[in-house]
Amino acid sequence: MAWRKIEENIFKFLMVLATAVVVGSLALILITVLFKGLPALNLDMLTKTPQGGYYIGKGGGILNAILGSLVLGLGATFLAFLISMPLVIYLHLYLNTRSNRARLIRFILDLLWGIPSIVYGAVGFTLMVFLGLQSSLLAGIITVAMLIMPIMTRSMDEVFKLIPFELKETSFALGATRLETAVKVILRQALPGIVTAVLMAFGRGIGDAASVLFTAGFTDSLPYSLFKPVATLPLAIFFQLGTPFPEVRERGYAAAFVLTLIVLIISVVTRIFSARFSKNIIR
Amino acid sequence: MIDVQTHIRVKNLSVWYGKQQALNQINIRIPDKRITAIIGPSGCGKSTLLKSFNRLIELQEGVKITGHVLVDGEDINDPKVEVTHLRKKMGLLSQKPQVLPMSIYENVAYGLKIHGVNGKKNLDPTVEHYLQEANLWEEVKDRLHTPASKLSTGQQQRLCLARGLAVEPEVILGDEPTSALDPLSAECIEHRFLKLKEKYTIVLVTHILRQAKRLADYVVFLYLGNLIEHGPAEEFFKNPKDPKTRAYISGGFIEETTRKASG
Ligand SMILES: Nc1ncnc2c1ncn2[C@@H]1O[C@H](COP(=O)(O)OP(=O)(O)OP(=O)(O)O)[C@@H](O)[C@H]1O
Ligand SMILES: [Mg+2]
Repeated sequence: MAWRKIEENIFKFLMVLATAVVVGSLALILITVLFKGLPALNLDMLTKTPQGGYYIGKGGGILNAILGSLVLGLGATFLAFLISMPLVIYLHLYLNTRSNRARLIRFILDLLWGIPSIVYGAVGFTLMVFLGLQSSLLAGIITVAMLIMPIMTRSMDEVFKLIPFELKETSFALGATRLETAVKVILRQALPGIVTAVLMAFGRGIGDAASVLFTAGFTDSLPYSLFKPVATLPLAIFFQLGTPFPEVRERGYAAAFVLTLIVLIISVVTRIFSARFSKNIIR
Repeated sequence: MIDVQTHIRVKNLSVWYGKQQALNQINIRIPDKRITAIIGPSGCGKSTLLKSFNRLIELQEGVKITGHVLVDGEDINDPKVEVTHLRKKMGLLSQKPQVLPMSIYENVAYGLKIHGVNGKKNLDPTVEHYLQEANLWEEVKDRLHTPASKLSTGQQQRLCLARGLAVEPEVILGDEPTSALDPLSAECIEHRFLKLKEKYTIVLVTHILRQAKRLADYVVFLYLGNLIEHGPAEEFFKNPKDPKTRAYISGGFIEETTRKASG
């Protein structure tokens, strides 16, 4: 009897510990980037591009990288969505869940998910050279889209798996086609999950440095053409943290703070929206 | 035998789920403009039979079907058959009421829109009409645009009835359509069915023998996937021929009869 109580308490302790680690990690990240970056965080940082000598501590900001990352992240997310969404609908409405084809698709997606982003960067670079492109926003968008597509698809896939089978059945019973069922019923039911999947993929895409290193390049100017290099926050952080100048390293932390904040804001905003969309959902 | 006119004719129909056989060589004609009740103990294949009529059964994983279901003389499994037309014609009310993830109004309008009824002016009166048909209008008229999932189970069942009727099927396949209702609403729906049979052919699965007696013109009795007996209701209940039927409708245990019969 006493032992079972001890057992229970040990497990309770472990669970509390695990929760604390999760909450602690978030707090640690926020505090680190905030405290180390705060001194460098000012309006110039957010509203100006790097001026001459920025990387040795002179004036300017990282607007190039902020806008670059946003544009690249949105572009890649959009492109990945164009592939993910039809694929998930195909998996769930046109294939049997346990068919060989569905299995194969899921297996490949899981493999793709596991491949490190630097490999995507390398492949993207090869592809780019092959197509005769230079490092550019477009090449970055394509590469990051490849990187996040499996993540987006598999997360949506898991959401779709939770949709009651009867919902499909009901819609078919009324004489709806697969597409009507997908668009008018299943997507509605899955909407909050789709939003979450897209968001996850965006967060992963906007924060990745390795895939954009060779493909998107870097520039001090604002993004203005699909075919010109573009700056991104992860690389801005990377370059600035790598310098010997303390004030520049501080700016690196400030950039990290901005990147974290973007992901946080988007995540909160989307959650609010998806709550509004989900009022009709069947639980 | 009642009438010869028949919409639905089942010929040597067998259905397997994987290796498990759920229906074995079923042969029946469903009389038109009548209520046919399918009765039998749980798991005997009633829902399977019903879902074979509108090909919903083929959505199940690993299902195998042999034999024929003829609707208006046409084999429904023929590649020529447009399955969406078939399903519109054969309105199925499933066993578990399943509302769609939209408002009450949109639930009823869903099927209508799919089949080409559009615009508030056309939809509004139709939606109201079928909600009234299903005896739900009074309860929901002030909250038509709230989520259907907030309705009680019994209300959801009636909503599903309204939604099913709204697409104007020729045949109504009801899988225990009153199972989630209180006696009063159930009675109301029963009356509705008695009226509906003037216009529609109705096939009802029911667990309630008294309900079958009250409503059915024709009765089909299934047991373990086999068609044991079928016939006009009066005769079926008065003079059941098979000992299993006799046992079932007198509330006895079939198991016992089968055991006695076989050993
Ligand atoms: N998707 C499925 N996969 C495997 N077996 C199934 C499936 N659906 C039904 N069965 C089996 O087929 C048999 C007939 O099922 P069915 O649902 O038609 O019975 P039923 O007569 O409608 O029962 P109830 O009165 O409980 O609704 C049962 O033994 C059931 O377990
Ligand atoms: Mg059933």
